[in-house]
Formats: sequence, C-alpha cells, structure tokens
Amino acid sequence: MGLLLKFSGIIDAINRRVGTWFALLVLVAVLVSSGNAIVRKIFDLSSNAWLELQWVLFSAVFLLCAPWTLLSNEHVRIDIVNGMLPGRARNAIDLIGHVFFLLPLTIIMIVTSIPFFLRSIRLNEQSFSSGGLPQWPAKSLIVIGFTLLAAQCISEIVKRIAVMRGVIPDPYMERRSALEAEVAQVVEAVEKR
Amino acid sequence: MEAFLIHNMAPIMFAVLVVVLLLGYPAAFSLAATGLIFALISIDLGLFRPDFLQALPERVYGVMGNDTLLAIPFFTFMGLILERSGMAEDLLDTIGQLFGTVRGGLAYAVIFVGALLAATTGVVAASVISMGLISLPIMLRYGYDRRVASGVIAASGTLAQIIPPSLVLIVMADQLGRSVGDMYEGAFVPGVALAALYAIYVFVVTRLYPRAAPGLPAEALVHREADGKRGVISLAIVAMVAVICAYLFMRTTNVKAGADFVILTMALTSAIAFMVALLSKLLRLGLLSKLAEQVIFVMVPPLALIFLVLGTIFIGVATPTEGGAMGAAGALALALFKRRLTWDLTRQAVESTAKLSAFVVFILIGARVFSLTFYGVDGHKWVEELLVNLPGGQIGFLVFVNAFVFVLAFFLDFFEIAFIVIPLLALPAQRLGIDLIWFGVMLGVNMQTSFLHPPFGFALFYLRSVAPTEPYVDRVSGKRMEPVTTGQIYWGAVPFVLIQCIMVGLVIAFPAMVMHYKSSASEVDPTKIQIEIDLPPPLEFK
Repeated sequence: MGLLLKFSGIIDAINRRVGTWFALLVLVAVLVSSGNAIVRKIFDLSSNAWLELQWVLFSAVFLLCAPWTLLSNEHVRIDIVNGMLPGRARNAIDLIGHVFFLLPLTIIMIVTSIPFFLRSIRLNEQSFSSGGLPQWPAKSLIVIGFTLLAAQCISEIVKRIAVMRGVIPDPYMERRSALEAEVAQVVEAVEKR
Repeated sequence: MEAFLIHNMAPIMFAVLVVVLLLGYPAAFSLAATGLIFALISIDLGLFRPDFLQALPERVYGVMGNDTLLAIPFFTFMGLILERSGMAEDLLDTIGQLFGTVRGGLAYAVIFVGALLAATTGVVAASVISMGLISLPIMLRYGYDRRVASGVIAASGTLAQIIPPSLVLIVMADQLGRSVGDMYEGAFVPGVALAALYAIYVFVVTRLYPRAAPGLPAEALVHREADGKRGVISLAIVAMVAVICAYLFMRTTNVKAGADFVILTMALTSAIAFMVALLSKLLRLGLLSKLAEQVIFVMVPPLALIFLVLGTIFIGVATPTEGGAMGAAGALALALFKRRLTWDLTRQAVESTAKLSAFVVFILIGARVFSLTFYGVDGHKWVEELLVNLPGGQIGFLVFVNAFVFVLAFFLDFFEIAFIVIPLLALPAQRLGIDLIWFGVMLGVNMQTSFLHPPFGFALFYLRSVAPTEPYVDRVSGKRMEPVTTGQIYWGAVPFVLIQCIMVGLVIAFPAMVMHYKSSASEVDPTKIQIEIDLPPPLEFK
C-alpha cells in the first residue's frame, strides 16, 4: 500500500503542476482573442491561424486541467442522495465509479484517439480554412488529456482504497469544500476594501 | 429477454442514467460511461456496427472546435476579476445612499445593483455574498424585516442567471443549436422585467407593511452638501442634460431608430455625464453635488463594460466570444486602474476559470457521448412520442415541461438540467413549432429557481454563510442585534420563487418580450469570423 500511495502522490503532484500551469493559458486566450477582435474591427484583418489558436488554447485548458479538477473533487455531482449516505457507502460509490466508469472510459478514449491522432500526423492534416493551423497538435491534446485523466483515476482508486482501509485520512474531508473556499475568498476581498 | 432489451433500449438507458446520477458519481463521467456501456451492449446485440467507438474522438474534437464555448471561460474570468475589483462594494454604498431615504430604498438599491452586477460580473455567488456582507447589516440596523431583506438579496443575486452575459444562456444556446447573440437579445427584456417585478414586490410590501422596509433616517447619509441638502436635484439635471445632448447628437447620425439607437444613445449619455463630472472635479468647478459626482463615477465602469460587451454584441459588431474576450480584457484594465490587480488575484481567477471550464466542458463531452448512443437506439424518438402527444398542444407541452423543470430545479443545478434535460426537449419543442430562443429564455427564468429553492438553493447557501448566525452588537447604533435564522432566509425566498413562476407565465403569454431578437438580424459578416470545423462524418447505424 505504501508504494502505491507513493505512486499516487507522484501522479497527484504531476497533475497539480500541469493544471496550475496550463490554467494560465486562460490569460493567453483572453489576450489573443481580444487582440483578434480589435484587429478585425480596426484594421479589417483576420487570420485564421490566430482565430484557431483561441480554441486550441482553450482545449488545452479544459483537457489538461480536468485531471486536476478530479484531484480536487470539483467535478459536479448530484449530491442529494449521496449526501445522505454514510461515508462508507459514498467511498464505495466513488471506488466503483472510478473502476467501472472512469477508467474504462479513459482507456477507450486513449485507444481510439491514438489512431485518430496518428492518422492526422501521417497525412500532415491541415485546417480546412486557409492559413489555419495544422490539426495534429490539437488532436494530440485529446491523447495527452485522457492519459493524464486515466493516471489521475488510478491515483484516486489507490487513495479511495487507502481511505476505506483507514490507512490515510480522507483527502476530500481535509480540503474545505469548494463552495466554502469560494465564499471565504469573496468575503476576504470585500472586507479588505 | 433480448427482444425486450432491444425494444426498450432507450427507456432502460435513461432509467440507468437517472439511477447512476442520483448515486452521486460526477455527472460528466456518469453520462459518458452510461453512453459507452449501452454502446457496447448495442454492438453486442448487433444494433450498432463494431466500429461505432471510432466516432468518439471526433465527438471530443467537435466540442474542442466549438467557438461558442470559448465564451464560457472569457465571461467566467471577467466575472472573477470584477468581483474582486471592488465594483460591487462601490455600487452598493453609493446607490444605497441615493435611494436610501425612500421607503424600501435599500431593497430597491439591492435590486438595481443586482441587475447591474448581473450584466457585468454574472456570478451569483459574488453578488449574493457582497450584498449579504454590505447591505444586509445596514438593512437589519434600520429595522428591515429579515425575510424581506434576505429574500431580496438572494433573488437579486440570481438575476445573473438570466440577464446576459450569463453562462446558462451560452450553454442553452449551444444545446438548442441557436446563436448565443440571439439568446442574449431574447433574454434581455425578460431579465429586466424580472428585476422590475422584484421592485414591484418591494413596493407592495412597503405599502402593506411600512415597517418591513423603512427608509433610512437622514443621519445615515454620508454625502451631504454644505447647506444640508442631498444633492439629488443636481444629479437629475446632469442626467437630463446628458440624455438630451446624446439624443440630439444621435439624431444627426444616420443610425435608425430602434435597439441600436437606444444602446448608442445610452452609451453617449454616460460618456457625457462622465466628462462633465470629470471636468468639474479636475478643475474644481463645483458644478455637481457630491452625491451626483459619486453616483456618476461608480456607474461609469459597469456601464462602460456593459456597452463594451453587450452593446457591441447587440449592435452586431462583435460575436459573443469576442465580446467575452473584450470584457475580460476590460475587467483586467479596470482592476489595474483601481490598483486591485495582483498576481495572486489573477492566478486565483485563472485557476477557478480553468476548473470551471474543465467540469463544464466535460459534462458536455459526457452528454455528447451519451446522446451518441441514445440517438443510436432511437431515444430521441421515444422522448418525442412521449412529449408531442401531451394534451393541449403547444401550451400543454410548455406547461408540462416548465412544471417538470421547476421540480427538477429542487434537486439539480442548472448545468445538469441544461446538459441532460434540455437537449431531449429541443426536438419535440421544434416539432410543435415552438421558437427555441423563446423556449430557452423561458426555461432560463424557470431554472433560476434552482438557486432559490429551499433548502439546497445555492443563493440561499451563500447568504446563509455570510448572514449573522449569532447575536451581535451593531457597529453604528451599538444595539444588540438578533441573528438571521435559516428559516427566515428560506421563507424570504418563497415570494421570489412565486415571482419566477409569474415571470415564466408572462414569457409564455407575451412571446414578443423575447421574439424581438428576430427583427435585428446580426450584422456580423459570418465569412470573416467563421472558423471551418471538420464535421464528424455522418454516423451510420445499422
């Protein structure tokens, strides 16, 4: 178990790092997109490469930050029944979900997206719009994103088992819920004025 | 057994999804996994071709290239930056001063500021929390009824859901296959009308129970002139002059009367008022009262942002995605100007934006994977048959669907409703000849109740977390104050839930509130902004 937990710790560290870094692309996307809008209006110019860059950046954000979102337990759940269940049942639901839902899903996505990506690279597939970007970098994001997500899923499985066996405290409990954290941030900002 | 399964695949699939979602596993993965499991079963039964799964990466790629969704991170980021820029606080302080002495004045101020914040930050949490921290203590101090005070604050915060640029409307437009710009134009009038209904409610309360929402005493006002007057007249004069100048100027241009004319006139009016206030302040001319100056200065940033974002979308010079990007850049500039922009704040905002985008887009991917299978087993036809044959035709359908969504809103939040339920309703609605923008706006007003339904409504939760839970001593009056109970917060929300229902009824009764979007066709040249996306090859089901 100790070794597995160490492995899970490494995955967590990688995905947290990837998530926090790639989140910054939001800022880049804002600058690129507002720049595009201004240039289009004022100089009546528009470049398909720059327009396509917007959504490639955004795709990188959501695909590469999804594992980190899973790590921080921020994927939306319907907790009306879940919230009433005892902790053991909730752990079991998460474990079953990770093993039978998420893991197969990510594996199927990886298996089908690799040929999808390789075909694109082999054909050196270009954008349909003139002057657009080549397609394979965007397609590679699907492979990378789901691989990281699969890794995070394995890490979550390890941690859930460890929690159920009482080896580690529940990481979901330690962390304040996302809602409370959000409230605390805004309260702090208002009171600082 | 096999025959039964084949014939009832769609209902079984839907039932399984409901069970899985209710267990509380993340919705995005539940949707996708249910879709996949049933795809495998269908392949096994010979309903689908074995290479069915090859379509999955194309589906994800289709979501990635969807230009509309880009507006989600932009508007989220804009809201997160604005909520820390101090705009809400400035507005609440100043507008509270302006309306304060009127009976129910603080409540009107909360509704007005709630609507302004809705059109700029668009974050329910931030609006409710700021108003709960700033306006609630003042309302309590001067003896507001606790239910009225908390109801007004929670409801005004949820205006962000229906007044553009709301995220729900973007998701809804995407799910219904309509343009976000049209959805925004369609939602604008009902959104403003809703704020007006809130104000009418407050007015009725102050007439029936004057003590429930008293006006502030004169000593509670900060901005006073040397002669003791409040300076409202000065504000009125400036506003009148600015409107007249703007109108006269606009008459000389060749902009036709209509929405564009109104938007440009309003923008010009605020610009003129701002210039006057700025000149008066810089040159110490003393043209304006302190109150007038203050009001103009706090109103300019939100109005400028509204024009930058919504104005440009409505006039048709920008797409919603461009509007979102401009708004985000504008919010950064405003925060920088007010010296509120720190690296920490930016970092927090990008991280929250990234996580929100990740879970929203993953629910969408999950929903697409689910629908790929669901449509494959003719699920859409099953739902259509169920709904199209309801008694009462269009109206029967609308009443049923709205009642259904209203009940769902007790348990689900708007993202889940928008992604799971709305796409199932779109086809039957269209077959009954219902305009999908009208339909979307109506459901948007309805889904706002998911924030207000006790006991799970988020707006109530946010208010609960900042309203006093224990007796405290008021800072100004020195009096001992009772806490606000959870029951008071819940009961305060009930009248507003009813108002939402009335508004849904009004939208159904007066479609023109929404349908005016058709008259102003977008002037954006689609050939210049359209990105070509390779569509997934047509799916073949056996």
